Amino acid sequence: MLELKDLHAEVEGEGIEILKGVNLTVTKGEIHAIMGPNGSGKSTLAKVVAGHPEYEVTKGDILFNGESILELDPDERAHAGVFLAFQYPVEVPGVTNSTLLRESYNTIAASRGREEMDPLEFDDYIREKLELVEMNPDFLGRSVNAGFSGGEKKRNEIFQMAVLQPTLSLLDETDSGLDIDALKIVSEGINKLHGEDDAVVLITHYQRLLNYIIPDKVHVMIGGRIVKTGGKELAFELEERGYDWLESLATVNGEAK
Amino acid sequence: MAHPARIEPSIMHELASQVSDSRSNLWSEIRKNGLSVLNSSSFPTKKIEEWRFINLKPVSRSEFVPIEDAGTLPAIDIEKYFLPESDRSRLVFINGSYHEKYSSIGGLGKGVTVGNLADYADDQHVKEYLNKLVNYENDVFSAYNSYMFEDGAFIHLAKEAKAEAPIQILNLYTDSSKAFIANPRILVVAEEDSDVTIIEDHIGLGDNRYMTIPVSEVKVKQRAHIHHVRIQRDSIDAFHFSRPIAYVEKNSEYHSYTITLGGKITRNEPRVIQEAEEVDFTLDGLVLIDGDQVADTHSVMDHRFSFAESHQLHKVVVNGNAHSIFNGKIFVRRDAQKIDSFQENRNLLLSRDGLVNTKPQLEIFADDVLCSHGATIGQLDPEEVFYLQSRGMTEEKAKEVLTYAFALETIENVKVESVHKLLIQEVYRYTKANSKPKVMA
Repeated sequence: MLELKDLHAEVEGEGIEILKGVNLTVTKGEIHAIMGPNGSGKSTLAKVVAGHPEYEVTKGDILFNGESILELDPDERAHAGVFLAFQYPVEVPGVTNSTLLRESYNTIAASRGREEMDPLEFDDYIREKLELVEMNPDFLGRSVNAGFSGGEKKRNEIFQMAVLQPTLSLLDETDSGLDIDALKIVSEGINKLHGEDDAVVLITHYQRLLNYIIPDKVHVMIGGRIVKTGGKELAFELEERGYDWLESLATVNGEAK
Repeated sequence: MAHPARIEPSIMHELASQVSDSRSNLWSEIRKNGLSVLNSSSFPTKKIEEWRFINLKPVSRSEFVPIEDAGTLPAIDIEKYFLPESDRSRLVFINGSYHEKYSSIGGLGKGVTVGNLADYADDQHVKEYLNKLVNYENDVFSAYNSYMFEDGAFIHLAKEAKAEAPIQILNLYTDSSKAFIANPRILVVAEEDSDVTIIEDHIGLGDNRYMTIPVSEVKVKQRAHIHHVRIQRDSIDAFHFSRPIAYVEKNSEYHSYTITLGGKITRNEPRVIQEAEEVDFTLDGLVLIDGDQVADTHSVMDHRFSFAESHQLHKVVVNGNAHSIFNGKIFVRRDAQKIDSFQENRNLLLSRDGLVNTKPQLEIFADDVLCSHGATIGQLDPEEVFYLQSRGMTEEKAKEVLTYAFALETIENVKVESVHKLLIQEVYRYTKANSKPKVMA
């Protein structure tokens, strides 16, 4: 489903390389976790796959279902089935959650040849999804993320994921800022949404999310590269030993990490 | 009565010889006052501090002719501008003249008087307040209006009278072959404990050049409430110089929302003057401009007594080569303590060639006040655009949605439903047309 080939990326116009040759293959039906210390490039990786204009891919390729998506705009990637749950969801005062979701759902549906829904049908549809993240229906009429607590914003991201039904979900530190109850709700939501036909990439700093969502593969990212890949047990090892023991792997060939 | 051909200092002199008889003593007195200001004031130029950002040469170089020589076309299809809520509370002025056949009054309940000022020349409130409240120093525009106006909207609310419907003051400007000048006038007197909503709409029916100088005088007596919405949808070649002034008495509220959409050059000078303690007033604005439009707001919020709450949110979206100017003066006089005043001017620049000048101006002489103010000029946040794009919206659509959201905040408080909808449509129409940044030659 997703294949990253020697992916290099830098901040547009600044010449500072952040991704230094990432190789990653995610197959449908899988859950992957990407872990790593702050500044290792995890969030950048997610943004680059989603098409953030701030980053420029200087080398390598991103294949989605076998085709390069490098030339696609972020909305076209969304139409193809890519979803990014933001680490810092953006507030959009004046646009209600239901308006945003209906607009998004119908645009994506149209591009994928699915039926669009009228406001009434859509209302029934999203209320069902609301239950998944245990959110109050009142919230549909509120402006997107405006005045939401950190936890509400994160839940809202998963709610959007539920409504939009992407095939590849990149969840960027969705667990940060959540208390234990919210973490459970969000994790259960993700588990329910995940199936045989889609893939989830969790980007996280901590192992605790992985108590609730069992990944098929765990990758460690340091210095803009994936330096180690293992099964779920790797997460426990990281929890115990930290990242220091892997740092040396990031400086092969004498390059700075 | 002869009309001046051009608005220039030399013309002001010419005017002096043209005072004609008027139908009432009151009008001839007002006319005399207007003339004396006209004769002692000069047409503003950039050399004057208050006018230094705005180029008025397109105005002073325009040829204006008397309305009867302007080749005006009839106003047709105007029913579409009637507000459903104001079915029986509507005053219609075409090029400044009252039109009874389009107007409809009588649906306002007890104690509410609404009509053409010219028909109320002998009314005690008209005698007491007309032209007494307008106070713009050496201002040729308000003076010209005073000299010229014949008709106007008169609204009086007796004690405890509550207007049962919003009052629509519909100012239409017709297409014409030559440029003319219109002088709309409004007088509102709200007695103790009264309540009224006023929707003042200015609509250009063509793309022609004209100048309109709306002057409104508003008196809000003790515990009275006024909700005043002003919509400017003038022709794209029009000049609009408005002077709305309100005086607020003890425990009264005056909330005004000005939406500027049309016109080539707009200069809006709203003023609110506090006349006693414990008042609450709002002076919000929304400006959506494009092309070579210039919109200038010079406002005054004058706190003269203690315990006032005042708000001013002035939001501006600029595209093309358009130019916005904002100067918001907040005065807090020496004995005016416990003032809670808020001012914010936010500007959204959609194009490279747009221009914004902003100058919050606080002059505070009291020591126990809370005055916050801010001015920002920015573009759409790329992170916000990306967020919406990642949810499937095209870049254009995302920008449209964000601009719409930016503008919407200022009209949220407009409480007449059809007007609120109308403004949402206007904002939508603007953002739809302007979601793509334009680079103008």
